[in-house]
Amino acid sequence: MRTAIHLTFGALALAGLTACGSGAAPAPASSSGPAAPGKIAVAANDTECKVAASEVAAGTTTFAITNGGSKVTEFYVYAPGDRVMAEVENIVPGLTRELIAELPAGAYETACKPGMVGKGIRNPLKVTGEHKKLTADAKLAEAVASYKRYVKSQTDTLLVKTQEFVDAVKAGKIEEAKALYPVSRTYWERIEPVAEIFGDLDPAIDGREADLAEGDEWTGFHKIEKDLWIHKDVSKSGPMADKLIADVKTIVDKANAAELTPLHLANGAKELLDEVATGKITGEEDIWSHTDLWDFAANLQGSKAAVQSLRPVLEERAPDLVKTLDEKFAAAEAALEVHRKGDGWQLHNELSKAELKSLSDAINALGEPISKIAPVVAK
Amino acid sequence: MFASYLIGLREGLEATLVVSVLVAFLVKSDRKDKLPQVWAGVGVAVALSVAFGALLTFTAARLEYTGQELFEAIASLLAVVFVTWMIFWMRRAARALSGELRGKLSEALQVGSFAVVVMAFLAVAREGLETALLFFAAAQGATTTVEPLIGITLGVLTSVLIGWGLYRSAIKINLTRFFTWTGLLLILVAAGILKYGVHDLQEAGVLPGLTTYAFDISGVLPADSWYGALLSGIFNITPQPSVAEVVAWAAYLVPTLFLFLRPQRSKTTPAPASSAA
Repeated sequence: MRTAIHLTFGALALAGLTACGSGAAPAPASSSGPAAPGKIAVAANDTECKVAASEVAAGTTTFAITNGGSKVTEFYVYAPGDRVMAEVENIVPGLTRELIAELPAGAYETACKPGMVGKGIRNPLKVTGEHKKLTADAKLAEAVASYKRYVKSQTDTLLVKTQEFVDAVKAGKIEEAKALYPVSRTYWERIEPVAEIFGDLDPAIDGREADLAEGDEWTGFHKIEKDLWIHKDVSKSGPMADKLIADVKTIVDKANAAELTPLHLANGAKELLDEVATGKITGEEDIWSHTDLWDFAANLQGSKAAVQSLRPVLEERAPDLVKTLDEKFAAAEAALEVHRKGDGWQLHNELSKAELKSLSDAINALGEPISKIAPVVAK
Repeated sequence: MFASYLIGLREGLEATLVVSVLVAFLVKSDRKDKLPQVWAGVGVAVALSVAFGALLTFTAARLEYTGQELFEAIASLLAVVFVTWMIFWMRRAARALSGELRGKLSEALQVGSFAVVVMAFLAVAREGLETALLFFAAAQGATTTVEPLIGITLGVLTSVLIGWGLYRSAIKINLTRFFTWTGLLLILVAAGILKYGVHDLQEAGVLPGLTTYAFDISGVLPADSWYGALLSGIFNITPQPSVAEVVAWAAYLVPTLFLFLRPQRSKTTPAPASSAA
């Protein structure tokens, strides 16, 4: 009995954490507390045993076994030599039972045993890696894949537009460069959270003069912005432009090769909104060109793209949250739409304090439901 | 539906049998004052099982697979000790009765309330958590199909009825026969519980040889048939036991039966085979 109490109190202590398993934390350093991977559905009946995943990450895996047959079934996870790693019995027809298994990397077999006899219907199960990643669940994996496709599409255009911008700067075409500046940044701002994974490259591309530490070299978009709008002279900006396109190429390669997790998406969506609130509303981002609203729109679109990728998962786990998100996104977009001008936006210095406040309110109202995504994803 | 019913019946019988014999024995030997302790033990076990079950179902609390198996194994082994002690306790009482030594009877029955509570508790707690988890899973699935929930509930209710029937019939027969038959029944039950505990230890990986089967009669005795469910519920007789299970079962059954059935001498009090007291 004492054992049981210990076990349960241990479980309770774990329950005090956000979502709990008993293993490693997921990759993003920005998140706190361990997270459990999604559940793996097992559809069992009298003759079949369909396991939704044939490969899972090491750590705690939860199987949800649904018996659609007419016989009572059992579900086993076997290590080589039929050593039982975990099992759940008494899955009566029509019932779903869960099994929590702690699996180190290796080759395993799963088995359903309709009628509770025999060797069961076997499937191989590969367990890989050191850390458990949140991609165990097929829907989460698809969310990440879908977001990666988005990143790819944005980075492709980012390269093209940044190249055009750099070429204009090097050719001394100031007006053309000024027009291309907010456009090329749009593609950058949409995927900035991914870029932020690679620490020092982000400030090299997007660092602001005001944020420079003593002795840092200032490079990137904003240095060229100052040359264009303040010095009105880009004759010496060539090397800076070359460095910008080189850095962008590096980060595009890295971004497309990056191992993203669902938490990256959730946290990224939130970071983009924080960016809007701290940089774009205040006008601190594009202090000379005043093209903050282009960045604002891009951040909002990027945040929405990340949320949309997670949508299937969210609809399953938190349908109410999806509804709220849809409403608040629509409200924020509507608040921004007022300031559209031609195929671009009004400049930041053309907006009144009241107009900026209404934008800020819309973003804050959206930030609250977005901050709830990560816990849902980490469930 | 029937499959869920049988599972409820099986899980229920594992608890109700021991409890009903215990109650019958106390009633039979005029120790009704101990009954509240029996129900206290049962109540605490049910409450704890339901509480843990709810905790594991509705919160993020986790009990690793091996944890549950180990809990069941330890509870089972403890239950074997207590049930064995009860068998010989009853035997002493039977001696006192058959020898018309009424004065000795109350002496033989000087039993701690604690032991009664613990025995009733273990009988139920052993399978309580698993049954509670089953119930919650069935309740959660009731939105799609309510059959498992109804089936399991009816099964458990039936097991209570069977237990009650056993109690009624045990009350009616004469004392000597009562002690002999319930004693034999309990020995078989205890052997089954021990076998079950060994099986759980193997599943938890504490003991090896889970898949080294002694025999496989699943062709003759399907685990999902009504008689299969009854046999495993009452005596833990399963169609595909491991060698270790069978060895433990026999190693318990043979000496205990021998000690229980050997002729009683009226002078000396036999030393109980177990060290549970």
